[in-house]
Amino acid sequence: MTRAPLVALFTALLWLSAAVPAAAAGYVEPPALAGEVAAGKLPPIAGRLPQRPAVADFSPDGREPGQYGGTLSMIMGRDKDTRQMVVYGYARLVGYEPNTFELKPDLAEAVEVEDDRVFTFTLREGHRWSDGAPFTTEDFRYFWEDVANNPELSPTGPPSELMLDGEAPKVEILSPTRVRYSWSRPNPEFLPALAGARPLYLYRPSHYLKQVHDKYADHAELEKRVKFGHQRNWAALHNKLDNMYKFDNPALPTLQPWMAVTEPPADRFVYRRNPYYHRVDPEGRQLPYIDEVVFQVAAPGLIPAKTGAGESALQARYLSFDDYTFLRQSETRSGYETYLWRTAYGSHLALYPNMNAEDPAWRGLMRDVRFRHALSLAINRHEINEVIYYGLALDGNDTVLPRSPLYRDGLRDRWAAYDPAAANALLDEIGLTARDDRGVRLLPDGRPAEIVVETAGESTEHTDVLELIHDGWMAVGIKLYTRPTQRTVFRNRVFAGKTLMSIWSGIENGLATADTSPQAFAPTDQNQYMWPKWGQHYQTGGKAGEAPDLPAARELMALYRGWRVADSRAERTRIWQEMLTIWAEQTYTIGLIAGVLQPVVVDLELHNVPVQGIYAWEPGAHFGIYRPDTFFFGPARPRTPESVLTAAVRSRR
Amino acid sequence: MFDYLVRRLLVMVPTLVAISIITFIIIQLPPGDYLSTLIAEMESQGENVDLAKIAALRAQYGLDLPMWQQYAVWAGGLLRGDFGYSFEYQLPVSDVVGDRVLLTVVLNFGTILFIYLVSFPIGIYSATHQYSVGDYGLTLVGFIGLATPNFLLALVLLYFANVWFGTSIGGLMDPSYIDQPWTWGKILSVLEHLWVPVVVIGTSGTAAMIRRLRANLLDELQKQYVVTARAKGLPPLRALLKYPLRMALNPFIADIGNMLPQVVSGSAVVAMVLSLPTTGPMLIGALQSQDMYLAGSFLMFLAVLTVVGMLLSDLALAWLDPRIRLGGGTAR
Repeated sequence: MTRAPLVALFTALLWLSAAVPAAAAGYVEPPALAGEVAAGKLPPIAGRLPQRPAVADFSPDGREPGQYGGTLSMIMGRDKDTRQMVVYGYARLVGYEPNTFELKPDLAEAVEVEDDRVFTFTLREGHRWSDGAPFTTEDFRYFWEDVANNPELSPTGPPSELMLDGEAPKVEILSPTRVRYSWSRPNPEFLPALAGARPLYLYRPSHYLKQVHDKYADHAELEKRVKFGHQRNWAALHNKLDNMYKFDNPALPTLQPWMAVTEPPADRFVYRRNPYYHRVDPEGRQLPYIDEVVFQVAAPGLIPAKTGAGESALQARYLSFDDYTFLRQSETRSGYETYLWRTAYGSHLALYPNMNAEDPAWRGLMRDVRFRHALSLAINRHEINEVIYYGLALDGNDTVLPRSPLYRDGLRDRWAAYDPAAANALLDEIGLTARDDRGVRLLPDGRPAEIVVETAGESTEHTDVLELIHDGWMAVGIKLYTRPTQRTVFRNRVFAGKTLMSIWSGIENGLATADTSPQAFAPTDQNQYMWPKWGQHYQTGGKAGEAPDLPAARELMALYRGWRVADSRAERTRIWQEMLTIWAEQTYTIGLIAGVLQPVVVDLELHNVPVQGIYAWEPGAHFGIYRPDTFFFGPARPRTPESVLTAAVRSRR
Repeated sequence: MFDYLVRRLLVMVPTLVAISIITFIIIQLPPGDYLSTLIAEMESQGENVDLAKIAALRAQYGLDLPMWQQYAVWAGGLLRGDFGYSFEYQLPVSDVVGDRVLLTVVLNFGTILFIYLVSFPIGIYSATHQYSVGDYGLTLVGFIGLATPNFLLALVLLYFANVWFGTSIGGLMDPSYIDQPWTWGKILSVLEHLWVPVVVIGTSGTAAMIRRLRANLLDELQKQYVVTARAKGLPPLRALLKYPLRMALNPFIADIGNMLPQVVSGSAVVAMVLSLPTTGPMLIGALQSQDMYLAGSFLMFLAVLTVVGMLLSDLALAWLDPRIRLGGGTAR
């Protein structure tokens, strides 16, 4: 038995929700739908909700019960951002709780987990898709048998999250509401994948997609549709219509709180409430409170200005900390407030010494831990923090944040204090003692120690930071050059080992718990710019790239594999701690500053948006875990006191 | 004249073929393809991308074929009126472009009108009152228009339009009218938003047009026939409008050739800054994401327009100005 608390929780919830139907008579019809119900186009509320709907819990962060109506306007940068609606909607089989980051069943009524190996999902009786068709285990079967394992639809087989080192799960349909996934070994990454901002989908609206599936559809009819849609074959048509995440097909039934109405391309996307949504508030009113969400598409550069003009009721995307003063200035004119949410990056920016660099002399240096330590010690992080982030960020290594349960003292400051003397001593010890007339050290082959740090060239923030690092490094005899490129070029150069060092954001999830995958700390991905070839080696199963050849990196890899098969939380915690210690000692990435705050603009009439929150993609889905379906428009709120608004600034974590 | 027309039309064919090849090569020049852009973007959002899946997609889109084969597919489609398929939008190119063309035409027609209306009187005034205070003053204004970066002017105007008149920032209409059927309110909203881009794009064009008209008119005004007309007592206004001005009009006509492609590319930079729903930002987006068929078809469309525009303006000039029409035939 693993994860005892989690399973206990799920079982408790099963009981809790079983007790609810007593109040079933009290469900309230949203007024926006009353007309359609009266006209007979929609069944009344009791027929649309599952027999036991999910009840939103308002107690932990003191949300108010809301009122119906209104249009939530937001501004997006591109057509493609229509997918943000799936991110913000955050209807998942299991989802994270905002304060504890524990997983709880959401679309599923209950989830039973045995040894992290066998996962049984119980669906809600009477749960329906947004078009009214029942949501049952047939939708899971369809996905597994007819989509994931259909060679034409999925030429590469089922999604990689489902394949445990090449082993496919055993999928059993136990009843119309019960389905089981099991592997022979533990798969602790399975549930977090279901709760992701871009979730792993185990189901498809089978009643809709069967119309274009070769196995079910009438062939002549299908042929016509393929032709009409300008598609190559039925598989291409199926894949085009089947974008649960991209959310660009209004005809595709959904389980999210709002469903797409607008067909792309467009400059304004409208989402209307899903009449069959499965969540109700504590008083039995079907969520979401807000009837309509509108995404207006505008040039990203204009979005802060438009937000300042009050055109968005809730905005964080495309705003950055630089915009904070402007946003505050326009608050009174436009009737909104600006909250500051924390971000979850282990480091907002980090330097990646490329240990797979082509140049043998440099590769040797980058692999020398003393060299990496020296570079890290020669950076004045405090100065960067004060000069560029008004002293509001947190300096230190690229590792878990102080709010993570895995955090220990020392992880963030190990080899991260500003100590030029120690850096000089380390560089001398390596043998880089000769210098040229500029004071730049010489490599053993006589070349000056000039490091070109490449950036993706998208923001001047990177170049500003590098400018400050330049001075610190120059003092220890290392010359830094900045080279902005373009993102694709940047990545390809790193992958090929042509880049000596790059600057990019650090570890994505700085709030990791023992149950979070420590994948980012082991060479598992080409996008880990310090060891792209080792990551590629893992990703391609050894077909490309190079095997890790530094003992510490191999140990990280072994620990990661150990974490995947660990069978207790204590064991997982132990592995995490060991990995974090190695990580801090080895300085594989040179973290700079973390905890840069994210401005979140909230209309004064919009209620239930937490003043303090975490703005993170994973885990968190940006607004997703705060459940926008419980946000509502009401009378204008009094302004939040300044001390509360800026509390995040003062705590500096 | 007929021979001339046929010859011009025949020359257009190899020109367009050459342009299509160059266009295609240039689009393909940056490293990577649409999928590498897609991967970069997905990963920047923290999404994992399966390498094997990417390879499968590359094959599905035909991006693994050699470049000449990709070109053949695209060029063959163009001949049949099929502009290809946009990867980014997952729609045929013609569907993607659709609605934006109308607003682009409205915007650019407005801009051209603005340029003509402003530069015409100023140009005449400057030429007839050469070196006067008015000439210097207006010239200064024109040069300021030419010298101010468009995007800067655009942002300044947007800000004040919002603060003073409450006009929504960016776009060509209030957000509530987007994708709604055309109503009187919507037309008013478009007019309310239209003046910012029209003034911004227009200012630089106006300055250039004023200078050209002034210079041409000055040349004419010093010619013998004007002096004769004045000496014979023709009223000053008539002596100005009847002959010299007509001669000085050539740049207005000659510009048609340049204006047609501008109508489609829609002064892209300003449109980007102001977030206008015109074709310009779409073209730039397509080039950035290497959505090659969308970008390629856009550029081809521009090329065709330029070539046709040049032909039209040459024909119009020949029709309007006997010196050009007859110049070819008379042996000097």
